[in-house]
Amino acid sequence: MSKGEPKPGILQGTLDLVVLRALAAMGPQHGFGLAKRIQQASDGALDLNQGTLYPALLRMEQKGWIKSKWGVSEANRRARYYEITRKGRGRIEAEAADWARTVAIMERFARLAGSE
Amino acid sequence: MWRRIGSLFRRGRLDRELDDEIANHLAMQEDEFRRAGMDPESARRAALREFGGVARACEQYRERRGLLWIETTAKDVRFALRGLKRSPGFTAAAVLSLALGIGANTAIFSLFHAMMLRLLPVARPQELVSLYRTGGWGKGYTSYPLYLEVARRSDLFQAVIARSGVVKARFSASAGAHAEFARREFISGNYFRVLGVSAALGRVFTEDDDRVLHGHPLAVLSYDFWRSRFGSDHRVLGQTIVVDEQPLTVIGVAQAGFRGVELEQHADVWLPAMMRDGDIMQPGMNWVWILARRRPEVSSQRIQAAVNGLMQAWLESAYGNNPIAAFRKTAMEQRLEVRDAGVGISLWRDRFSQPLMVLMAAVGLALLAACTNVANLLLARGARREQEIALRISLGATRYRLIRQALTESLLLAAAGCLGGVLFAIWGQRAILDILPAQANLPLAVVPQGAVLAFTAAISAAAALLFGLAPAMHSTALDPAAALRSGRQGGGRPTLRRAMVVAQVAFSVVLVVMAGLFARSLAAIGSVDLGFHGDNTIALKLDFPRSWKPAEVRAARERFLAAAETLPGASSVSFGFPAPFQGGSAFATVHIPGSEATTVDVARIAPRYFETLGAALKRGREFERADTANSGRVAIVNQAFARRFLPGDPIGRTLSFDGVEQVSIVGVAPDMRYQDPRTPAKPIVYAPAEQMPDNWEPTVLLRANARAEELAPAIRRELARLGSQVASSEPRTISRQIGESIFEQRMLAALAGFFGLLALVLAGVGLWGVAAYGVARRAREIGVRMALGARRDAVLGMVLGDALKLVLLGVVLGTPAALAAARAVSSLLYGVKPADPATFALTATVLLAAALLATVVPARRAAGMDPVRVLREE
Repeated sequence: MSKGEPKPGILQGTLDLVVLRALAAMGPQHGFGLAKRIQQASDGALDLNQGTLYPALLRMEQKGWIKSKWGVSEANRRARYYEITRKGRGRIEAEAADWARTVAIMERFARLAGSE
Repeated sequence: MWRRIGSLFRRGRLDRELDDEIANHLAMQEDEFRRAGMDPESARRAALREFGGVARACEQYRERRGLLWIETTAKDVRFALRGLKRSPGFTAAAVLSLALGIGANTAIFSLFHAMMLRLLPVARPQELVSLYRTGGWGKGYTSYPLYLEVARRSDLFQAVIARSGVVKARFSASAGAHAEFARREFISGNYFRVLGVSAALGRVFTEDDDRVLHGHPLAVLSYDFWRSRFGSDHRVLGQTIVVDEQPLTVIGVAQAGFRGVELEQHADVWLPAMMRDGDIMQPGMNWVWILARRRPEVSSQRIQAAVNGLMQAWLESAYGNNPIAAFRKTAMEQRLEVRDAGVGISLWRDRFSQPLMVLMAAVGLALLAACTNVANLLLARGARREQEIALRISLGATRYRLIRQALTESLLLAAAGCLGGVLFAIWGQRAILDILPAQANLPLAVVPQGAVLAFTAAISAAAALLFGLAPAMHSTALDPAAALRSGRQGGGRPTLRRAMVVAQVAFSVVLVVMAGLFARSLAAIGSVDLGFHGDNTIALKLDFPRSWKPAEVRAARERFLAAAETLPGASSVSFGFPAPFQGGSAFATVHIPGSEATTVDVARIAPRYFETLGAALKRGREFERADTANSGRVAIVNQAFARRFLPGDPIGRTLSFDGVEQVSIVGVAPDMRYQDPRTPAKPIVYAPAEQMPDNWEPTVLLRANARAEELAPAIRRELARLGSQVASSEPRTISRQIGESIFEQRMLAALAGFFGLLALVLAGVGLWGVAAYGVARRAREIGVRMALGARRDAVLGMVLGDALKLVLLGVVLGTPAALAAARAVSSLLYGVKPADPATFALTATVLLAAALLATVVPARRAAGMDPVRVLREE
């Protein structure tokens, strides 16, 4: 486990959105590629424990948001590739809307606090 | 779809895939770090650090995988429950037929388990064998000298036990206390040690407690008896109890759960074999049932061969010199069969095992019929829900999910059926035990448990698969587009449902034929000419204290008979030993001038014996009061005796009988059956009890003018007048006792009848369902026909004819199966042939009638349709 300087952990639920967006943008991708992409996209600001990615991928697969199949990686290794489904794309929109709503509410509270 | 079902069982492969995936991940990360300039070792460690806990990730992953299964199952169960609640009629019909099928199986299996499978609660029961005597007289029991002979064979057996039968004996909890009855068993001193049964209190017998004849007045109580009779009082140790007028000191209580080695007879109190009265060393006195712990290294064949040799040598020494050839021949025919005794010994098992196998097969068939019925109901429901299923498929539900949901529903139905079945079995067991004779003491658990419950659960689960899978596959194999487009219920021809109805009819044919054959057997046994009429004759046994002198016993018996004769409604009284269907037998040697001496049955009887039994003498007279010890010796013979030994007129001829010369024959009695209504009468000689006294207490007989059972209270009052020291059996008519003696026939007839009826009802429901569905499906066609001028009776005929075709096919398929089944049980039939044409014809008629009954309502509905309305609705 990395014990460097504290970084914000990833919020429960947001990981799904992050993964789905990454898959939507990149097309089929294996677990390692996804982990790297998420770390790069967050500029290292997110502390993604790579191991936690796999249970999350399974959960999303069970929910039918993504699907997987075995393929061969660039380095000629056998790897499992994940791909977003139609249902998953729908989920991005729903999650994004949820997220926007949450942010809007939080901002309103922040303004209330500031005006006092 | 199968891949997904299989995934439940292929955890191993999925785990390997996960391992591969993680290993790949780590390898890619490691490559990257190395490309960035790390040395291999630190690259590997860095990769692991980045990943952050491989084990924990795997664990979460697996947990997630299991969670899904539970979530889905819970969802399926909720969904199925909702669906079942929506169609209560279907649910009730399905659960009821399953409960009946499963319950019948549970009840019969619990009997089967108790009779055939359950091991005794002793040490290493599989080593126990019993030496079962066959041939000669009686069976099972043998004599004490033979036991001693067998006990010497330590090359075959680790140890050999002797035990008597379990017999009701007079018992008082202390000297002078009120007389009751307790079940007593005499045992050799090594009994408890060899069986590995210890004492719950005090101690059990050892070899030292069984050495001197009549020298060990000791008793061990059974745990159950100690609890029920002595309230588990520890002070019972050292207490003096009285068994059969012998004062005995209680030395211990056997361990809980041990009730002896005999299946249907449990002992309350054990006595050392040496305490048995009479000459226990007499070779002809068969009172010992030998049990042994075999040497595991000696094969069964070798033990049997050695026992055969031993038996032959012993018979030769005991009977080889007997002067009477017939007696010697019978004696030498005796054999000792070495049988497994780990499941306990039983005089009944031989009689019971075949009927039980038949019943197991019958209930299996009944359950199949019930499953077919439920499958049929499910198919009908599936057909009604076709649109819903089509809609769900087009919305993306996989076939696997739909089948899984359907099977969840089936399992729920089976679980409810299992529960109902257990309840039904509790009732059914009681009903079966009612058929068995009163003295039967089968240790059936009140509520099924252990192996029986496991069996019930297993057949319920199997049933769920059996009735659930085919309908599930069938109703989900549809083209959603076509089903939705057609917009009405019902797709193609429902071949599967029709096939199931045919199968149901075939099952019913088998069960109804069985029921018919067993009912006819029972009727045939009931109509056998027994040679007497026992409907109004009450038989009872008196039991006098052993301390009474013969004259006292006689006086008391006479007093009772005199009082009984004057009871209102009584027409005559008598006594005799043996009396028909009262057990026991006696033999004597007769010598007819001009022929060889021979051994025949003999009965010692009082005057009016035949009159009291409702039998008319063929010739001559009954014994009279004038036939006393001081008058001329007389005898009555039966017709079988006369035919065999005294051709011509037997009256007035003489024979020498039991050592007495010049016994003149004064009467010829009808051939009366004594032991089994199915066994023809043997030659028998009757002698006046006065002229041939014996120790055996005779059976008292009392004939009533009508309704003999109503005399029972008055008889009990008279018995009470003899004083509390005289005990008696329950006054019952001989007819009732005969009924009990053929309990396996009554059980077969009653149960086969019940299962036959069950199958018939299920087949009727199935037919009704198919006919009703057929009418609904063809409403449009029927409407068109009627609009074109088809007559109502033609429509009626069309629907009925369709159903009859199914029934006929079922009968044609079921008949050979029924014939094969009937052949298999032919040894259980009496007075009816397996291929009895009347039974088969009646079965076919009954099934056709049931079919008509089941289809007439849907058929009339079809005929009563208003074509205009039907067509407009379409």
